[in-house]
Amino acid sequence: MTTSNTTRGDASSQSPLSPGINWLSDLKRSRKPGPFFGEAQHTWSGASTCAVHAGSSDDPRTGAVGTPIYQSSTFLLEDDQYNSIHDGYARDRFIYARYGNPSQWAVQQKLAALEGAESAIVFSSGMAAITTAVLSFMDKGAHVVASKELYGGTYNLFNQELPSLDMSATLVDPRDFDAIEAAIQPNTQILYFEAITNPLLTVVDIPKIVEIAKKHSLRVIIDATFATPIGLRCLELGVDIVVHSASKYLNGHSDLIAGVVLGSRKLIDQVWPRMLTYGGSLDPHASFLLERGLKTLAIRMKAHQDSAFALATYLEQHPAIERVFYPLLPSHPDHAIAQRLLDNATGNVTFVVRGGDGAALALLKALRLPKQATSLGGVESLISLPFNSSQAGFTQQQRVEMGILPGTVRLSVGIEDATDLIADFKQALGQMTDQTETTHA
Amino acid sequence: MRNGIPAAALSEFVNEVRDTPHEAVMDYGINITWESGTRSHVEAKPMHVGGHRVSRKFSWKADEPRQLMGTNHAANPQELLLSGLGACMMVSFLAGASAKGIQIETLEIDFEASLDLRGFMGIEANSAVGFPEIQYTIHVTGDASAEAFETLHRASVVHSPNAQTILNQVALKGAIVSTSI
Repeated sequence: MTTSNTTRGDASSQSPLSPGINWLSDLKRSRKPGPFFGEAQHTWSGASTCAVHAGSSDDPRTGAVGTPIYQSSTFLLEDDQYNSIHDGYARDRFIYARYGNPSQWAVQQKLAALEGAESAIVFSSGMAAITTAVLSFMDKGAHVVASKELYGGTYNLFNQELPSLDMSATLVDPRDFDAIEAAIQPNTQILYFEAITNPLLTVVDIPKIVEIAKKHSLRVIIDATFATPIGLRCLELGVDIVVHSASKYLNGHSDLIAGVVLGSRKLIDQVWPRMLTYGGSLDPHASFLLERGLKTLAIRMKAHQDSAFALATYLEQHPAIERVFYPLLPSHPDHAIAQRLLDNATGNVTFVVRGGDGAALALLKALRLPKQATSLGGVESLISLPFNSSQAGFTQQQRVEMGILPGTVRLSVGIEDATDLIADFKQALGQMTDQTETTHA
Repeated sequence: MRNGIPAAALSEFVNEVRDTPHEAVMDYGINITWESGTRSHVEAKPMHVGGHRVSRKFSWKADEPRQLMGTNHAANPQELLLSGLGACMMVSFLAGASAKGIQIETLEIDFEASLDLRGFMGIEANSAVGFPEIQYTIHVTGDASAEAFETLHRASVVHSPNAQTILNQVALKGAIVSTSI
């Protein structure tokens, strides 16, 4: 049997029990950020320094640079681990990979540092993160007020699953604060919004949402997938819980599925037992990939923004394009909110092609650089049409009511150079113009 | 996890409250509606735990036995009072045991109390309306000595909100909104 003299986990976390405790007031253990490997959480001024160094550690046995992949499902048990189970701090020790493992801890610490959070838990998908976070703060009979502009998976959770659990949701216009407040019921527990919506890129005024929540003693959960912590530090604005689909910008390479929930240690400790029960834990290899991808997050987001803004500006003046949605364009309805809240804009651009869905489909076929695929946030540009992918379940009239006009294109601009992207769109839109002229001849 | 209570989280909550006392403020409410005869329907109102709203979709009924003009469909108000007292003393006992590292195997509290309805009826001025005495016996097994369990017992009653509400005078501030038809 191997024995260890060092704590396998967060050494700053110790049992609350000691001799001489007569009542609860004698308990001395206080809550601390983490769990971390026990090293002090650095506070660097630069997001890239944070992205590269926070949470990452070199292998103490070999000196190999970078966090090793701990591809183990279980860990050696000693008195320390058994005590952590008995005394209720098992989250701070390595016991079983689903409860927490070193590869998860490394990426969780990095994500927490980037988001300004005390604690984080990574999940096997964005939807695992969202479902677990929402259900952690919903009790029997509870109600959530959420945006009517929601990612389809989240909409399905609210629309299809909550009623089965004796819970309910009211979906409202994220710009209509009176409607948000009017939708609050005595059993409402959560306000749930996406920081930047999909596909119309509505930028939600989060400080206003937080103000309403505080007035009514509610928790705020924000899905900041499109914004990333480089663009928006939600917790600093008073948000309680931030969720991300880490499959998108956080990882950035379109090569894994993951999610994350971040917030205070108090609230994330309430999410942890739900994660154990619902089972959506992230495996060590995916944790490693996410940790590696995150190291370039800040420079990728800058590149996404630069290319997206240049391309959006080009598309807005093109006669074949009816309308462009991009928060940095002065024409965007939320331009002022974006300028006030976002340190870095998203890489997504949504635009409407003249001629409807058929013309949009022709454009996609004529493009050479962007790949026709769903998802977003990768280094490569991805392009898709809501009418036959993300919003295919709705009728055309329903899509129009949601603001998704015929010909709407969802483009996730990668980190390719703007000149190449613009040249590709120029040739593709030129082909469409030529075809139109031929048809009319 | 000992007794199903995370001692670490309990300790962290205690010390959070030490720093931010408003996290210890709990707001409760119930609404009780007359159904028929002596039977009523009770619903828990949303609770506020340290300023955060918690949905409470729980309801129950109260009734009196047929001998007291009721239909005997549910526990009566005195039984509900004793159950509220006993459940609170049990939480207090378990929280204290968990803080002290005592593993409880079984725990049961048996309550008995008598009252004289002449007080309610108003036919005997010297008769108390309420319970003059409530008797209980705690049956516990666990990894502590009889002396340690007795110390825990005393501390748990001293810190039980419902036990202390019964032992101490409490202001009952009422109002009536009436509609004459």
